[in-house]
Amino acid sequence: MTDYDAIVVGSGAGGGVAAAVLAEAGKSVLLLERGRSLSFEAVGRDHLRNQRMPVYGHNAGPDIEGNPRTLDPASFPIPVGRELGNLRLLRPHEPGYQNNAACVGSGTRVYAGQAWRFMPKDFRMASEYGVPEGSSLADWPISYDDLAPYYEKVEWEIGICGDHRSMTHLPAYEKPYPMPALPLPHKSGVHKAGLDALGWHAMRVPRLINSVPYNERPACIHCQQCVGFACPVEAKNGSHNTTVPRALKSGFCTLRTEVMARRLACSEGGRVTGVSFVDADSQELTCSADVVVLSCGAVETARLLLNSATSREPTGIGNAGDQVGRHLQGHYYSGAVGLFPDVMWDGVGPGCSIATSQFNHGNDGIIGGGFLGDEDIVTPVTLWKRHYPPDAPRWGLEAKRYMRQNFRRISDVIGPTQEIPSPDARVSINPAVKDRYGLPVAHLSGSAHQETVRAAAFMHERAKEWLWASGAVKVWGQAPPRYLSGGQHQAGTCRMGEDPASSVVDPFCRVHSQDNLFIADGSPHVTNGGFNPVETIMALAWRTAEHIVRDW
Amino acid sequence: MLDISQLRCLEALLDTIIPPDDYAGAVEAGVGDYLLRQLDGGDLAELLPTYQRWLSNLEAEARADVGKSFAELNEAERVSLLKRVEKGEVATDWSLEPAPFFRQVVEHCAEGYYSDPDNGGNRNGIGWQMIGYGARG
Repeated sequence: MTDYDAIVVGSGAGGGVAAAVLAEAGKSVLLLERGRSLSFEAVGRDHLRNQRMPVYGHNAGPDIEGNPRTLDPASFPIPVGRELGNLRLLRPHEPGYQNNAACVGSGTRVYAGQAWRFMPKDFRMASEYGVPEGSSLADWPISYDDLAPYYEKVEWEIGICGDHRSMTHLPAYEKPYPMPALPLPHKSGVHKAGLDALGWHAMRVPRLINSVPYNERPACIHCQQCVGFACPVEAKNGSHNTTVPRALKSGFCTLRTEVMARRLACSEGGRVTGVSFVDADSQELTCSADVVVLSCGAVETARLLLNSATSREPTGIGNAGDQVGRHLQGHYYSGAVGLFPDVMWDGVGPGCSIATSQFNHGNDGIIGGGFLGDEDIVTPVTLWKRHYPPDAPRWGLEAKRYMRQNFRRISDVIGPTQEIPSPDARVSINPAVKDRYGLPVAHLSGSAHQETVRAAAFMHERAKEWLWASGAVKVWGQAPPRYLSGGQHQAGTCRMGEDPASSVVDPFCRVHSQDNLFIADGSPHVTNGGFNPVETIMALAWRTAEHIVRDW
Repeated sequence: MLDISQLRCLEALLDTIIPPDDYAGAVEAGVGDYLLRQLDGGDLAELLPTYQRWLSNLEAEARADVGKSFAELNEAERVSLLKRVEKGEVATDWSLEPAPFFRQVVEHCAEGYYSDPDNGGNRNGIGWQMIGYGARG
């Protein structure tokens, strides 16, 4: 007899879905979350300490102290964190750490909720483009068609608003979105006219936000502090208010917060039998289960596997092919900022409402590409730090007047560029540095592939073109430099494939070397699309969890 | 923390970076409160000695330049002096590079003026009213 049918580690986008599907199928589930359950008030409205602008801290975990990582200084263009021998020692809110929130719901507690399906070509990048030198670009072993029914489930059951008729870059939807797109703010209408003038495809941005009351929660109130913060009326659909409550309501799920998974518990023969974890009182506990699902995010899932070495798998569970932790990717963000002659601001949040998929594929000499969209309302201090023109005065009356005259006239377009994976962009463990639980921390090394940098530079030029077409009188910004990417869109570190020598999980996200160990987060993504990945993470988790139930 | 002359110098400095006009200057908007909270055991506590040194250098520069304390200079004199500091063109022997830390002070001042009032600055949301950022919810 095991303690639970299944243990799910991590309550974010993937873990929430896995827990809900398993528990609703009558499986007893232990859902472990290292962070706390955060109220709206606990997340707060601090413009200097939030997931979007973590100048001095952040608002959704993990705690700043006791959760360090180390970084190869060559992986980042500027010195970050503190010097530690020949490495950099990073705290969770510092650049280069690749943080994902640690709380019930993880990043979904504070995200923008942009809800994109990947395109069919995103699943077969190697076949479409060939493999550039130094890259580990590969096709997914599954296709868009395999995921399409699960995309639809996420859209209807978790709740996505949008306009399926504008998604002409995708195969026809079987069902429309359950809610209409959010209203277009004034500035999105201006940017739409820019797209129309260029003849570029325009689409409404689908979002995990209630545009009308849905799932017994109210509609968005169009506030000005969405991305990086919690929703004051719970109109933003995350794991914390959808899948986790569903799992709990079934009566089959136990949620334990503030517990850190130390390692996978294994039999003497090296078979996974459960999870060992530490609770908030430093009590060490081990629970057994028939099935274990890891949903810790691409950095922490890889770290947990590597920290769980056994005599059967001495370099870490699932790591016989030396693939665990490699191919770390997220999204390069390319965009530009424009100054407009007329006021763009109307205060209608969240703001990001119009986008173009004109350049996701089919760009001459470029591998992949990405979408570009307008932006959620930026807070004043974020505008000052990120979007202020480099040649504008920064102090004195002139600077004060510049902000006064132009805050409402500045508007940017930006989007995620698909990354071309590199095997050297990597999560490993650093046994010399321990976290507050005494566990070796994640060590990050390598950089994005040059093809990613090239694609991002191409997308930066398109962003500038769009802003001029929208009527900007001044345009600025820079293409991103080469660095190690990951961040909140982190993916790729336990890639999916048929061959155990070149992948970590099979096409149902089961770790090749184990019968009962699955992954439900961004780690299995072979590539990460030119879109925010959360809907794909949720859809893939749904497919994996249904498979587990079906095969029980 | 800062002694009284350093505090006067800091206030004059903040009000030169974001001067009063139709809308409150930095000090009236609470930027000093923001900064002192950060320096007194807050996120910028490690920078307190640097602030003290930099302000002493600024004070010495003002005395060498105009023969007055920085806080006693009129606005045009303060702007003129800080323009030289910004370019690193100082007349006295500074114990640290003048320009890089000035850029940091400007950044801290903007944080106080434009971030949420709970951080101690942007009193009554004056910075947001000025630029037209209406936050609700």
